[in-house]
Amino acid sequence: MRSASSRFSPALLAAVPVFVFLVVPTAIVVPMAFNHSRYITFPPDRFSTDAVTGFFGDTAWISAVLASLQAAGIAVVLAVLLGGAAAVALHGRQFPGRSAVTGVILAPMIVPAVVLALAFYQFFNSVGLVGTILPIGLAHAVIATPYAFLTVRASLSGLNPALVRSAQSLGAGTPSVARFVYLPVIRPGLVAGALFAFSVSIDETVIALFLQSPSATTLPVKMFTDIQYNLTPKIAVSSAMLVTVATLGLLVQVLFMLRRRSIARMLPLTTVAADQTG
Amino acid sequence: MAGGKLIMPLAAAAPAQACDTSRGRRFRVRGTWLLLLAPIAAFDAILFLTPLGTLVSSSMQNQAYQRVLEDPLVIKSLINTFEISAVSTLVTIVSGYLLAWAIWRSSALTRVVLFALVLLPFWTGVLVKNFAWAVLLQDNGLVNDALQGLGFTDHPLTLLHNRFAVVLGMVHYLLPYAVFPIFAALAAIDNRLELAARSLGAGELSVFRRVILPLTVPGVSAAGLLVFIISTGFFITPVVLGGPGDQMIANQIDFYTMELTDFAGASALALVLTAIVSVLVAVYQRILRAGGAHEVG
Repeated sequence: MRSASSRFSPALLAAVPVFVFLVVPTAIVVPMAFNHSRYITFPPDRFSTDAVTGFFGDTAWISAVLASLQAAGIAVVLAVLLGGAAAVALHGRQFPGRSAVTGVILAPMIVPAVVLALAFYQFFNSVGLVGTILPIGLAHAVIATPYAFLTVRASLSGLNPALVRSAQSLGAGTPSVARFVYLPVIRPGLVAGALFAFSVSIDETVIALFLQSPSATTLPVKMFTDIQYNLTPKIAVSSAMLVTVATLGLLVQVLFMLRRRSIARMLPLTTVAADQTG
Repeated sequence: MAGGKLIMPLAAAAPAQACDTSRGRRFRVRGTWLLLLAPIAAFDAILFLTPLGTLVSSSMQNQAYQRVLEDPLVIKSLINTFEISAVSTLVTIVSGYLLAWAIWRSSALTRVVLFALVLLPFWTGVLVKNFAWAVLLQDNGLVNDALQGLGFTDHPLTLLHNRFAVVLGMVHYLLPYAVFPIFAALAAIDNRLELAARSLGAGELSVFRRVILPLTVPGVSAAGLLVFIISTGFFITPVVLGGPGDQMIANQIDFYTMELTDFAGASALALVLTAIVSVLVAVYQRILRAGGAHEVG
């Protein structure tokens, strides 16, 4: 860490507009949800909660929210279980083909979302699994699993291998080792993985767009369809909800950073080609 | 993709070993990790590798590759993808360097705040951002009001549904992906180098140009490639913020699937995109290893 030598410099001043550029679009979304006008503008002419009550009275939007939550639920559970188990299995273990196994686990992050969307579209049609939220949840689990794998793997880097051996030499069986050695170490990784999986699923649009049906339309898909025709306050309401979710995720991540006193530990995760297509 | 074959025999071998081995304790340890790996092996084999296999076999039909690559619309979208990605990457890297620099020069507490400012958009989905930009850039939006209020123009400029809006939206999405690796490169610099340069009389500019910039070149090129890779897959932003002439390769895949219902053509196009991305990812990982940075995949 550098000492706090914050000298005044033109370069730092030039960064200010870029920070503004970065934050403003996220910041304006919440006040827009309370716009009185039927047409969306910023800043709002007059504040009212009409759009919010309108949103919660609209069955199409509510079922989109519920569909998104269902898909995210499937994705979170599968991603944490599968990714977490894989991270524990591979921890500190050398064998031929190890990097190939890791490569396959991480590959869904690198394949462009539209490619996966088309692959899932043809696959789920061919096995007759369409028209429900299940294929969307499963597809989201595929792209969310690498995140859970990475967060659990990162938390395992703090595990002293001697701990496992000493537990075993004291007679601990596999269940006890899992319960008393691994679980406390990987718990933060599991929480972070669940959070990432939820965030990935709740924002994912392209795959959900390809797999959508009238009975399975997620929130981003509904937003995407509506944005193309009209910018309405209801889109602002759903955007504000998603920003709230993002803020919660961010708060948890900042808490992690402060507790570990290290930002660098969170960096590898975010620099991985997290290819949620824009 | 070949790695999938490697997982399956490993997972399938687990029960067989249970019968063969007489050394119980050693098996218990070995068997456990294979049992932990089996679920993800089965899951990825069925829900990731099989769909990709479906894609490959579908692309082999009706001379799809030849047809697709002769389509002028596809050529146009390939050129668009390259142009838009290149411009977005350039703008992202320059502004990302500024952000990373500002964070690096800050005290520990300010750092967390500035990181949070970068991370908030990172956690926010693309549709929220695109929606916000569409509102900001519309004819009576905040940006046009400000431009007119400041006297830059007397009529609303068309800022939406053109390439400018697409690049703006993409840069906004891509910035965090550039800031983190560039910051990591800056943070890795031994600050005695800077002190030495200053004690030899170097000013702010020459310290940057002759000490810091050369040391961050590997980090910056890795960041640039990463950002370019992500750019090539953009789908939502060109639809929401772009016009008909700004559609990218992903939009062409959607068009082939939903409008033409030409699955062979769509699959071929998807695999062309995957091939381009795979080559770039391979180069990216080579740069990371050469730079001694962490391995990502």
